[in-house]
Amino acid sequence: MSSVASAPLPAPRAGERAGALARLAASPMLRFLARRILVAIPVLWGVTFLTFVVINHLPGNAAQQLLGINATKVEVHQLSAKLGLDKPLLTRYGDWLHGLVTGSLGHSLASGQSVTSILGSDLPITFELLAFAFIISLGLAVPIALLAARRPYGVFDRLSMVLSMAGLSIANYILALVLVYFFAVNLNWLPALGWVPPGKSLGGNIKTLTLPAVSIAVSLLCFYTRLLRADLVQQLRSQDYVTTARAKGVGPWRIILHHVLRNSVFGLITAVALNLGTLLGVTVIIEQIFGLPGIGHELLSAINSRDIPVVEGAVFVFGLLVVLANLLADLLYATLDPRVKYGSAD
Amino acid sequence: MSANGRTEHGRPADGLLQVSDLRVDFRQGQHVVRAVDGLSYTVTRGRTMALIGESGSGKTVSSRAIIGLLPHTARVTGSIRFAGTELVGLSERRLRGYRGGEIAMVFQDPSRSLNPTIRIGPQITEAIHLHGSASRAQAHDRAVELMELVRLPAARQRFRQYPHQLSGGMRQRVMIAMALAAEPKLLIADEATTALDVTTQAQIMELLRDLQRRLGMALIMISHDLGLAASFADEVLVMYAGRGVEQAPTRELFANVRMPYTRALLGAIPRLQNPPHSPLAAVPGQPPDLAAQIPGCPFAPRCPDASDRCREAAPPFDEHEPQHRWACWHPCGVREVESA
Amino acid sequence: MAAPTELSVPGGLEPAIIVPPPAAAGRLGRLRALGGIWLPAFLVAAILFLCFLWPLIGPVSQPTGGTILNANLPSFSSGHLLGTDSTGNDEWSRLLYGGRASLEVAMAVTALGLVIGGLLGAFAGYVGGWRDSVIMRILDVLIAFPSLVLAVAIAERLGPGEVHAIWALSFFSVPAFARIARAATLRVREQNFIVAARLSGSGYLRTLLRHVAPNIFPELITFGLLGIGITVVLEGALSFLGLGIPAPAPSWGNMIAQGEGILSAQPKFVMLPSAALFITTVSFNLLGESLRARWSDR
Repeated sequence: MSSVASAPLPAPRAGERAGALARLAASPMLRFLARRILVAIPVLWGVTFLTFVVINHLPGNAAQQLLGINATKVEVHQLSAKLGLDKPLLTRYGDWLHGLVTGSLGHSLASGQSVTSILGSDLPITFELLAFAFIISLGLAVPIALLAARRPYGVFDRLSMVLSMAGLSIANYILALVLVYFFAVNLNWLPALGWVPPGKSLGGNIKTLTLPAVSIAVSLLCFYTRLLRADLVQQLRSQDYVTTARAKGVGPWRIILHHVLRNSVFGLITAVALNLGTLLGVTVIIEQIFGLPGIGHELLSAINSRDIPVVEGAVFVFGLLVVLANLLADLLYATLDPRVKYGSAD
Repeated sequence: MSANGRTEHGRPADGLLQVSDLRVDFRQGQHVVRAVDGLSYTVTRGRTMALIGESGSGKTVSSRAIIGLLPHTARVTGSIRFAGTELVGLSERRLRGYRGGEIAMVFQDPSRSLNPTIRIGPQITEAIHLHGSASRAQAHDRAVELMELVRLPAARQRFRQYPHQLSGGMRQRVMIAMALAAEPKLLIADEATTALDVTTQAQIMELLRDLQRRLGMALIMISHDLGLAASFADEVLVMYAGRGVEQAPTRELFANVRMPYTRALLGAIPRLQNPPHSPLAAVPGQPPDLAAQIPGCPFAPRCPDASDRCREAAPPFDEHEPQHRWACWHPCGVREVESA
Repeated sequence: MAAPTELSVPGGLEPAIIVPPPAAAGRLGRLRALGGIWLPAFLVAAILFLCFLWPLIGPVSQPTGGTILNANLPSFSSGHLLGTDSTGNDEWSRLLYGGRASLEVAMAVTALGLVIGGLLGAFAGYVGGWRDSVIMRILDVLIAFPSLVLAVAIAERLGPGEVHAIWALSFFSVPAFARIARAATLRVREQNFIVAARLSGSGYLRTLLRHVAPNIFPELITFGLLGIGITVVLEGALSFLGLGIPAPAPSWGNMIAQGEGILSAQPKFVMLPSAALFITTVSFNLLGESLRARWSDR
C-alpha cells in the first residue's frame, strides 16, 4: 500500500474541486497513464511497420491493380513512378510516419481522396455497428447475470448457462447467415443487404444495422453473461462483506446490486476493453456479408488494390482504438476501485 | 441425541435470548454433519455471555443460526426465542428485520468484513436507513455520532474514506459502529478481536464493555480464548463438538473447573509464571469428526480421565451445582458420582 | 493474552488446539450444470471418429469429382444420405472430409500455439525483466496486427491451402497461449517449491522444464481444448472469405461460402456445415469448460 493510502488522516476537504485537480496532477495516475501511452507507441509503430512490409511484398502493386492485367510494363512503371511507388520501402514508410506526425494520413492511391476523409465516412458506420452490438450485449448480459446469480444453480441460472454456452459456440458468420435466412428471406422483416444513413431515415438505419449488430452481439452477450455471473456468484459465496451486509439486514437484491456488482464489474470492464481490439476482424466478415460500407469493408478492398495509405490508416486507427480502450478501462478501474494504485508495473 | 439431556433453562422473565435444544445439520454430499447438537443457554438483558471453544466446536454456527445467517445446506431445529419471539422457522423477510436491528453482529476479520469499494460513511448510514426512517442528513449526523461513540479519531473526515485507508483496529470500530446503528438489544461479537494485535484487542474489548453498559445491550462474545472471557464475561459456556460441556458464572467457573476439557483449555494458556523454556501445553489430540456419530462423550478420546463409561454413554449436561452445569462422568474436584 | 492459535508445539507433540474446521459444506453439483465431463468427451470422440476414421473404413464416397448426372439429389436418396450438391458430390462425405480439414487445421494451430506460445510465455514469465518486456511487446504487436492483412498476405503470397491456413492462424494462437502461460508461470513462480528448487541450485532451464512446466501444463491443455473450438471457427472464417482451404476440396468454411449464394433456394447447404461446425465447437468448448471447472475446484 502506498504511503498515501495508509496516511492516518485525509486532507481537509476545503476547496474541493481545486484540491481534486491538484491531487490529480500530483497523483501517480498521470504518470501511470503517460507510461501506458509510451508503451503503446512501439506497439502501434510495430503494427503499422509490419503492415507496410507485408502489403509491399504482396504480388502486384497499386499501379498494377489499378491498370489491370492487360497493362504493359511501361505503363505500370510510369504509374508507379507517379504514385511514388518506385521509392525504397523505408523512404515511403518514413514519409508516411512524417505525415502522421504532422497530422496527415496521406491520400488513397486508388482514388486520390485523402485517407482522413475516407476513414471519416467509413468509421461512423463501423462505430455505430459496434456501439449497437455493445448496447445489445451489455444491456442484456448485466440483467441476465444478476438474475442468474440471485439463485445459483436455480432453473434460470442453469438455463442461461446452457444457452450462453451454445451462443458462445456459434460463429458470427454462421449466425449472420441463419439470421438472414429467417428474418430477411423467410419473414422479410429486415433487409439482408445494404445500409441507410441515419440522416436519410433513422428507422431504416436501425433496420439495416439490426441483423449485423445482433450477429456480433450474441457471442459477446454470452461471454459477458458467463463472466459476470461467475464473478457475482464467487463473491456472494466467499466474501465476508456479503455476510456483513446480510447481518445488517440488507435484502438479497440490494446485496447483489449495491454491494457485489460494483466489486464484480472489473472483470467485465477488462473484457470489454480487450474485445474492442479483436472486433476489427469480426466487422470485416460481418460488413462483407451484409454489404455495409464500413471500415472492415474498406480495409478488405484496400488490401486487394494494394492501397497502402488506406490500409495503414485503418490499421492505425484500430490500433489506436485498442490502446484507448485499454486506457479507458484503467481509468474506470481507478474510479470504481478505490484500492487501485499506480505504483507497480502493469 | 437425548443422551445430552435437557436442563431447565430458568429465568424466562429476564431472559432476552433463550436457546433450547438447538441443532444445526449440514448436508455434505452423502452424509450429514451435525455442527450443533442440542445446545441450550439463556442470555440475560444487559449481560455478557462468552461462548468458548475450538474451531469447529459449533460456537460460530450456533450464533449465526440465531439470525439465520447460515448457508442453504444448513438445517436448524430446536428453539431460539428472542424477546418472546420464536426465531427458528421465521421467514427470511421477518429475520431480516431482526438482523442489524435488534440483533447485530461483529465479525472476526475487519479487513475482509467491510465492502472495499464503498466508503465508510455510507456503509454505516445503510444500516441506519434499513432500520428506521431517517433523512440523508439525519443519517449522516447519526453515523458521525456513532463513529465518535466508538472513539474513531477524526470521525467526520473518516466518513468519506475507504476501508483500506484504515488500520485493522479502526476498521473493527467501524464494524461496531455499524452494528450499533439501530441500537440492538443483543450484540454478537464473533471472534471480534482475534485478528487484531494484543493492544488493540484490549482496547476493542474495553470499548465493547463500555458500550454495553451505556446502551444496556446483551453481548454474546465468541472466542477460543478463555483468558479473554475471564476478563470480560459475566457467564461462560464452554462448547465442544457442537455441545455445551460446562457453563457457569465466570467467577464460579474459574474457581471450580469441573470439566477436564475446560481444564485442558486453561492449561493451554501460556503463563508468565511458567519457567522459561518449559514446553507449551496443548490439548492433545484433535476435535472429533462431526460426521461420525459417537456414542459416548465426544471428548473421551482426548481426555486423560476417560473411562469405559465415558466411551459408552455421553454424560448429560446438567446443573450439578447451583448455576454450574457440566457434562462429565468424572468431574474434576468432585467425589465420584455414584453410577446410577 | 496470546491465543494458542498458531503455536506449534515443540517436541513433535500434537499440534496446538486450534485445528482447521472440517471442509465447509456446500460444494455440491458444480459440474452437473454442464452435463459433467462425459457428454462432451463422448461428443468429441464421436466427431473425431466420424471425420478421421469413418471415411477410411466406412462406405463414404469421395468428396470431389462427382458427376453432373448426380447433381442436386434430395436428402435420403439411395447412397446419398444428405443428397448431393450442384456438382453431384455427396454432401455427407463432403461434411466428413470438410470436418477433417477443419479439425486438422485447428489441432495443428493449437499444438503450435501450445508448444511455441507455452514455452515463450513460461520463459518470459519465469525470467522476467527486460526479456519479459521484449517478448511481451512483440506478442502485443502480433495480437494487435490485423488478422485480415496477414491472412490475405499469406493466401496471396503462398496461395490458399491447408498448411498456409495453419501458418496464418498460428499467428494468433501463439500469442494467446503465451499470455496464458506467462500468467500461470507468474503465479507458480512465487510458490515455495519453486523457490526451494532455485535455492537448491537448480538451473534456470532445469527449473523451468522440471518444475514450472508440469504445473502450468494442465491449464494450457484446458485452454487448448477451448482453443480448438475457437480455431475451428476462425478457419471457417478464413475459408468463408476464400483465404483458407480452396474449393473444390471441402472445408466447412468454404462449404458455407458456396451455400451462401443459394441460401434462399436451398438453405441446406448453409445449414448442414453450419450445424456441424456449431456442434464441434460446442463439444470442444464444453469439454474445456468442464475440465477448467474441475481444475479451479481443487
